[in-house]
Amino acid sequence: MTNQENAKIELKLDHVYKSFAKKEGKEILNVIEDINETFHGGEFVAIVGQSGCGKSTLLRMIAGFIPVTEGSITVNGAKVIGTDPNRGMVFQKPTLFPWLTVQQNIEFTFKMRGILKENSEKVKDMLNLIGLYEFRNEFPSQLSGGMAQRVALARTIINQPDILLLDEPLSALDAFTRMNMQDEVLGLWQMRPQLAIMVTHEIEEAIYMGTKVLVMDKNPGKVQKLISIDMEYPRNRSSNKFVEYRNEILETLHFGVKEEA
Amino acid sequence: MKEDTTTQNKLTFEQLLEKEQKEKTKKDKVLDFLVCCLPILMGIIAILEYLYVPNFGNFKNLSPNTYITFIIILIAAYTAVFVVSLFLKKKNLYNKVISKAPITAAIFAAFITYDLLTLKSNKLLYPFFPWFNDILNAMKGDAAFLWECTLSTLKLLFYGYFFGAAIGFVTGIICGYSKKAKYWIDPIIKLLGPIPTATWIPLVMVIASTLYKGCVFIVALGVWFAVTTATMTGIESIEKSYFEAGQNLGCNTRQLVFRIAIPAAVPSIFQGLTQGMSSACVSLMVAEMIGVESGLGWYIVWAKAWANYGKMYASLIIICIIFTVVTQALAYIKRYVLRWQEGMVR
Ligand SMILES: Nc1ncnc2c1ncn2[C@@H]1O[C@H](COP(=O)(O)OP(=O)(O)OP(=O)(O)O)[C@@H](O)[C@H]1O
Ligand SMILES: [Mg+2]
Repeated sequence: MTNQENAKIELKLDHVYKSFAKKEGKEILNVIEDINETFHGGEFVAIVGQSGCGKSTLLRMIAGFIPVTEGSITVNGAKVIGTDPNRGMVFQKPTLFPWLTVQQNIEFTFKMRGILKENSEKVKDMLNLIGLYEFRNEFPSQLSGGMAQRVALARTIINQPDILLLDEPLSALDAFTRMNMQDEVLGLWQMRPQLAIMVTHEIEEAIYMGTKVLVMDKNPGKVQKLISIDMEYPRNRSSNKFVEYRNEILETLHFGVKEEA
Repeated sequence: MKEDTTTQNKLTFEQLLEKEQKEKTKKDKVLDFLVCCLPILMGIIAILEYLYVPNFGNFKNLSPNTYITFIIILIAAYTAVFVVSLFLKKKNLYNKVISKAPITAAIFAAFITYDLLTLKSNKLLYPFFPWFNDILNAMKGDAAFLWECTLSTLKLLFYGYFFGAAIGFVTGIICGYSKKAKYWIDPIIKLLGPIPTATWIPLVMVIASTLYKGCVFIVALGVWFAVTTATMTGIESIEKSYFEAGQNLGCNTRQLVFRIAIPAAVPSIFQGLTQGMSSACVSLMVAEMIGVESGLGWYIVWAKAWANYGKMYASLIIICIIFTVVTQALAYIKRYVLRWQEGMVR
């Protein structure tokens, strides 16, 4: 399954620190402290942790929106400076451009880089893949939440980024759409197993999707535990192993397991 | 994944509307038809009233047929649209006729009322309120000159609006982007913004090289102000996430401006353009009335000075028509450009 080229991808977080200057006063807020991990192509890393522990901040540093305060982030040895379509990010809320149609949104990246002509087939395939070919000329305001999120995914994935960053991409969806979309995201990732890093606030989602689950601690945010999920896809949410992983993560997050039957 | 694609029923939009509407009964349909005939009936009454109600006192109604011709043209135009709509397969036009019929009838009723109040009874005093036939004759008699004035007004409006909007667009974008530019331009806007642009006319009359250029400047100033402010706020209030998404998808700085910032600010820009248009119309009229010696605004003052009220009203009517048309045209462009907005769709 793993593609040779992708297996070579290596994302290295080398003692990464991040602090923000608070607006009022001269206080400094330490958000990320000493994250030191290495991830590779073909992995699906799910990040869980309490609200405000710095998950988005970590993702935004990898994407290159904000610089690290200390340490370094490197991709295959090259330092991350600024954004790159090769580190594609899907945002929490669909940030589709409302003035462009579905198709124009998806081909946006090609157009910006002046390579639309040679990729027009790809756009068509992608529209079919996400099942929105018939909707290609609609504007985002006419799509349902799930459809819009699919377009947002497609728009980023069509670049075939080496590193796919997903910041709670499914949290705006209802439970049913969400479970469908989990499979769709997995499918897209498996087609070309790049490195995917997804923030989620649902532990079950993390276990269902991730090859690894990164549990983060709060104040300041650091890695509490990195758990490898050793299960075949598609995973059974009610299997014993699944429940065990779940309890392990809950315990790590200091939530007792007493209420579990 | 494919569940969304199956559009089982290939309905057209009209069929959908028809299906979702309540089934119209036979009675409703007859009623609709009768409503559509109402304007024609009113038009005929207007002609009959004009012909058979005696004129007031010793009023001399010169070339009385102009009014009749005018009303007949209106009736004919309406009837043509109505008849065509009856024969079209699509019901859009017919539905539009139904919805516009009452107001059209009311317009004819207004003609009747005005005629009764002026020519037939002098309740509205002559010469301040000339009857409609008189106005039409004034329009016809002075058509060449009125046309010249209309062109002059349109030219002034176009130049002023175009320059104001174009420069305002550019300054708005620059100020929306650059803190430094805003630092210098914002005070100008804050200081000059609240002053009606017409205030500057006397000054401009003194310093401008030609009066005409000065008036273009006056019209442009108001438009510039409205468009700059709207564009600036538009750009400033764009959600940051659009820029981030753009960057992430490979936009360079230029593309961020032209592909993200400007399209995202377009709703706001149109607000400025609309506001600018009404400002332009106001300053245009004031400028023509006290500045340039041409155009419809000047014509009004001139006609009034000669106590030629028929001509005055003629010019007034043309001004009304021009401003309505430009405002509607702008609204139409806006609707088209902003068709992606929520609530704008169909
Ligand atoms: N640009 C910024 N300036 C100052 N503080 C910031 C900035 N961005 C984030 N923070 C702070 O960093 C901390 C972590 O924020 P972050 O958005 O990474 O949390 P998160 O883990 O994604 O939370 P959630 O699950 O609620 O999305 C928060 O306390 C937040 O206030
Ligand atoms: Mg977050």
